[in-house]
Amino acid sequence: MTGPTRSGRAMLRLVPSTTEEACPSQWFCGHCGAPPPDNRTPAPPARVCPSCGLGLLLEARADVAPRPEDAFMIVDSSLHVCAVSSACEELLAVAETDVVNRPVTELLTPADAEAAGPGNLAAAIMWAARSDDEPRRVTVRPANVFGVRMPLRVGACGPPRAALLVLE
Amino acid sequence: MELLQHFGAKTCAMLRGVARRRVRAPTFVVVRYLKTSEAAALLNVSPNTLRAWERRFGFPRPQRSPGRHRLYTHGEIAALRDALLDGLSISSAVSRAREGLGADTNALVGALNAFDGGRADAALEGALALRSLDRAVQEVLLTALDEVARRHGTDSVQWAFAARWGNSWLRRAQRLVTPAMRPVQIVLGDATRDDLDPDAAYVRALELLATRAGARVLGLSVRGVSNMAEALAAHRPDVVVVAGGALADDAVARWAYAVRLAAGALPVAVYRRGSQRARVRTTGATILPSVPGEAARRLMELASGASEQATPTTEPTARLLADRA
Repeated sequence: MTGPTRSGRAMLRLVPSTTEEACPSQWFCGHCGAPPPDNRTPAPPARVCPSCGLGLLLEARADVAPRPEDAFMIVDSSLHVCAVSSACEELLAVAETDVVNRPVTELLTPADAEAAGPGNLAAAIMWAARSDDEPRRVTVRPANVFGVRMPLRVGACGPPRAALLVLE
Repeated sequence: MELLQHFGAKTCAMLRGVARRRVRAPTFVVVRYLKTSEAAALLNVSPNTLRAWERRFGFPRPQRSPGRHRLYTHGEIAALRDALLDGLSISSAVSRAREGLGADTNALVGALNAFDGGRADAALEGALALRSLDRAVQEVLLTALDEVARRHGTDSVQWAFAARWGNSWLRRAQRLVTPAMRPVQIVLGDATRDDLDPDAAYVRALELLATRAGARVLGLSVRGVSNMAEALAAHRPDVVVVAGGALADDAVARWAYAVRLAAGALPVAVYRRGSQRARVRTTGATILPSVPGEAARRLMELASGASEQATPTTEPTARLLADRA
C-alpha cells in the first residue's frame, strides 16, 4: 500500500495480509490414499505413488485429506469422475477403469435430492473444484441403492484443481 | 518400420535407398522403441509399475522383441507422460493418451471420406510415428476402412476410393519389407473378388505381417490353377492358406487340389473364409483368427511346426517329383 510521505512522495508500507490463514496440507495417493515417503512434496514429473504405483499424488487440506483406508474419489469441475480409491471401488462395487470420465451421479446421489445451498452435492463439488477451499459435508447414497446413507466430505485437491469426495 | 532397428544400419540404409527410389512409396517414420527400463525412466516410475499399468489398464501396450522382451513405442510413452503431468489419476491419463492415439483413425477416415489420398498418406504416416507398422495397419488402416464401409456401404464411391487406397498402401508397404529371414514358406491363395472386396485389405495385411514376421510368402490368386507345380517347386511351402470368401467353394477346391497334387499333403489354414460361415467344410484345416496380427502369429506357429516335422524326414524335391508323377 502506498501512502504520502512528508515530502509528498509515494512510499510502500507493510499492511496486515488480506489472504486466508495458511492451512496445513497433506499429500496423498489418489488410489491408495497413502502419503508420500517422509511427507515430502513430490516433484511435478514424479507424482506417481511409490507405494501402489496406481495413483497420482495429490495435495489437499489436512482436515480433508483421506487416510489410506478411506473410500474416496476425485471429481473434476464438470462433475466427471477422475479417480476412485481402491476402498471406494470395493464399497461401490465398481472398477476405476470403468467409471473414469463418467458423471459422478452414476455413482453417488444426494440423499436429500431437494437440498439447496451447501447441502447440494453438485454445488459442493463445483465450489470445491473451482474456488472454495472450505470443506463441506453432504449426505449421499449410492446411485440406485435406497436405504443407505453415507456422510460425504467434499474438499479441494490438486494439482490440477479438483474436488475430493471422502465417504465417511 | 521398427524391425529396421533390429537389423543394423546397413539394412536400414539399403531399405531407405529402396524407399527413395520408388515413386510414391509409403513414407515410414522409424519408430523409436524403448526398453522397459528406458520407458520407466522417462515416466519416472519403476519397471514393475509399468508392468502393473499394462495389467490393469492395458496401456502402454508393448511389442515383444525376438527375445520376448517388452518394447514400448516412444510415442505412447511420451503421450502418457504428457497426460500424467496434468492429470488427476493414472486412469484419466491413460484415457487421455488413448484418445490422442485414436485421433489418427478419425483423421484417416476424414481423409478417405474427402477422397484425399495425400492426406490419407499423411494420416497413416502420423500413426506410424506412434505405433509399429503392424499396429498401425491393424488399429488405424483396417479400422478406418471398416468405418468407411460401415458408414457408406461397400457399394459407395467412398468405399471404392478407400479400398483402393488401402490395398495400394499395403502393397507398397509389402515391397519395402525386409527379406525373409526364417526358413518358413507360405503359399497364400487369394480368394477375394478384387480390391473392393472388404476382405481384400485383411488378406493384404496378413501377407504383409507374415512377411514381416520373417516368412517368405507367395501370394497367388485361386483363379490360377495350371502349372501350379512350377510355382511350388520354386517355393516349397510349409503351409497353405486360403484367404477370402468371395470366390466359390468349387474354385477354391480346384486350386487346393492343384496345390496338393504339386506339393503333397500340407497343413492348410483358412483366413476370413467360412469361419466364419457354417456351411464351409474345414476338415483338417486350421481357422485363423480374423485379426491379421494374430492370424500371422498363428500361421507362423503352424508353418514352423510343419517345417520342423518335415525337415528330418522329407526330401522336398523327391516329394514334388513323386506327387507330380
